[in-house]
Amino acid sequence: MAPGPTAGVESFTTKNGQWKITTRKQPILKAEPIEELNKAIGIPIPEMIFGDNYVAIEHIQTGWKLDFNAQDALDRVSKTEEGMLQVAVADAWKKDREHNEDIKQVVKPFDWSYSTDYKGTTHPAQSQGDWQVTSQAKHPVRADLLSRPDPILFFGEVDLYEDELADNGIGLLSIKIRVMPDRLLLLSRFFLRLDDVIVRIRDTRVYIEHSGNTVIRQYTAKEAKYDEVSEKLRGMRENVAETLREPNRIAPLLNTVEDRTEIFEVH
Amino acid sequence: MPGLPASVDLDECIARLYRKELLADSVIEAVCAKTKELLMKESNVVHIQAPVTVVGDIHGQFFDMIEIFRIGGYCPDTNYLFLGDYVDRGLFSIETISLLICLKLRYPSRVHLIRGNHESRGVTQSYGFYTECSRKYGNAAVWHYFTDMFDYLSLSCVIDDKIFCVHGGLSPSIHSIDQIKIIDRFREIPHEGPMADLVWSDPDPDRDEFSLSPRGAGYTFGAQVVKKFLEVNGMNHILRAHQLCNEGYMVMFDDRLSTVWSAPNYCYRCGNMASVLEVGPNGERKFNVFDQAPENDQHRAEVQQQQQQHAGSDPIKDYFL
Repeated sequence: MAPGPTAGVESFTTKNGQWKITTRKQPILKAEPIEELNKAIGIPIPEMIFGDNYVAIEHIQTGWKLDFNAQDALDRVSKTEEGMLQVAVADAWKKDREHNEDIKQVVKPFDWSYSTDYKGTTHPAQSQGDWQVTSQAKHPVRADLLSRPDPILFFGEVDLYEDELADNGIGLLSIKIRVMPDRLLLLSRFFLRLDDVIVRIRDTRVYIEHSGNTVIRQYTAKEAKYDEVSEKLRGMRENVAETLREPNRIAPLLNTVEDRTEIFEVH
Repeated sequence: MPGLPASVDLDECIARLYRKELLADSVIEAVCAKTKELLMKESNVVHIQAPVTVVGDIHGQFFDMIEIFRIGGYCPDTNYLFLGDYVDRGLFSIETISLLICLKLRYPSRVHLIRGNHESRGVTQSYGFYTECSRKYGNAAVWHYFTDMFDYLSLSCVIDDKIFCVHGGLSPSIHSIDQIKIIDRFREIPHEGPMADLVWSDPDPDRDEFSLSPRGAGYTFGAQVVKKFLEVNGMNHILRAHQLCNEGYMVMFDDRLSTVWSAPNYCYRCGNMASVLEVGPNGERKFNVFDQAPENDQHRAEVQQQQQQHAGSDPIKDYFL
């Protein structure tokens, strides 16, 4: 029996009645919905696909909503050879096979690392306007205020998809949200570790002061060659293999390739 | 063949392991050495008879493995064939593989273990088993005992000359079972070649032939490959593990291939079901589907409580930035 649409749903409304936060956590998809998703998106689906999960932030008065779901995130994965990575052993592997068999057929190329630049899906409803490019100087995600030990009234952690890249590393998209009395922070993080090749972190942060109607969204893409990161970790006398599994500790060692802030004035 | 040291009592080891107690490193060393001797004599293709219960990936989910014995019967009352991937990812890889090899030593003709792609030095260093060994034993010695033993695990199994069982799948270098028998398997799993294919490859329902993965390494195999392999070898079914399925199993290619997955709620968060495949005396196949063992939640609650006492706060709510 399929679970109803409210199974695994948790929600929270801010005290001023302005914002409603909803999360949904469900098991990975079954074979049939995976097949449907595959058809809809046109690429093979990651090993662990949490297709029923989401995190949504809604502006109650206008119905404006920003949500994060697996289908829209996967739809932004490259469906061509563009930017396609190869595992570390690919060259040796091909060489060994050249004289061996005549297998020319390659599964349709796509970005099998499932790297996405997804920033959420916006549903404007009754609201006017659009996302406007701005800067952290003008509209900062206030790390100082977020570092205060204010009580966390609502907390959610939701995975959207994960693939172990046939044991060549990990590609993981997960969302966290915490709501404090005066503000909230959402972090959507895509983390890729392709062993001996590359490390990549693409973060989308959504920051809202409950009393206002400004949604600040910052997208930060960082990456570095795997060797560079391991070298730095060795220099810091860290356990390389273990630290490479912890995005929070690796993030400061990567190079920022894109950093963009936008706001949506919801009214 | 020299026996185990007099100080090692297999029945006692098994009883302790059922209680999830670790064995001393000297005992692990002796048991692994003995298992090597036993496995060395097995062919790359082990022939067995039904009835047998076939188990897919376990990945260190110890409580769920015990659940399999609860629902499928304990050794030696039920014959078992395990298709590999005993270690990595779960919290109790050491307890899991320790129990399996003790059962293998105690009931060698009733328990069969073949090799998965995680029974390898390279993969276990990235996916948890190495770290678990260092943490629980204070050094990497037991990891060396286990991974040296992994080099001796057989690669495949045939049930009643009809069902071919392997961890991953088929290889373009292998047309007949006899070609598996001549692989020099006593080694680390190589990056390429037929031995790698057997533990790594996946079926592809949308294709007929072998295809190269877009990753640049690894094959998928299609419907015609499976049909031809079964014809050439006079068999009727391929049984493999290696891929997560929410329902716990998947049947493909007009009932010519099954995937069996035996780690419920994989990584303690996928929410999927698991299964074992019971092969009856006349070759009939029945998936016995099961959910995660209740001990997982109890254990999680205990760990959280400990963390809370240590940190004095809720470890789940984190002040991420």
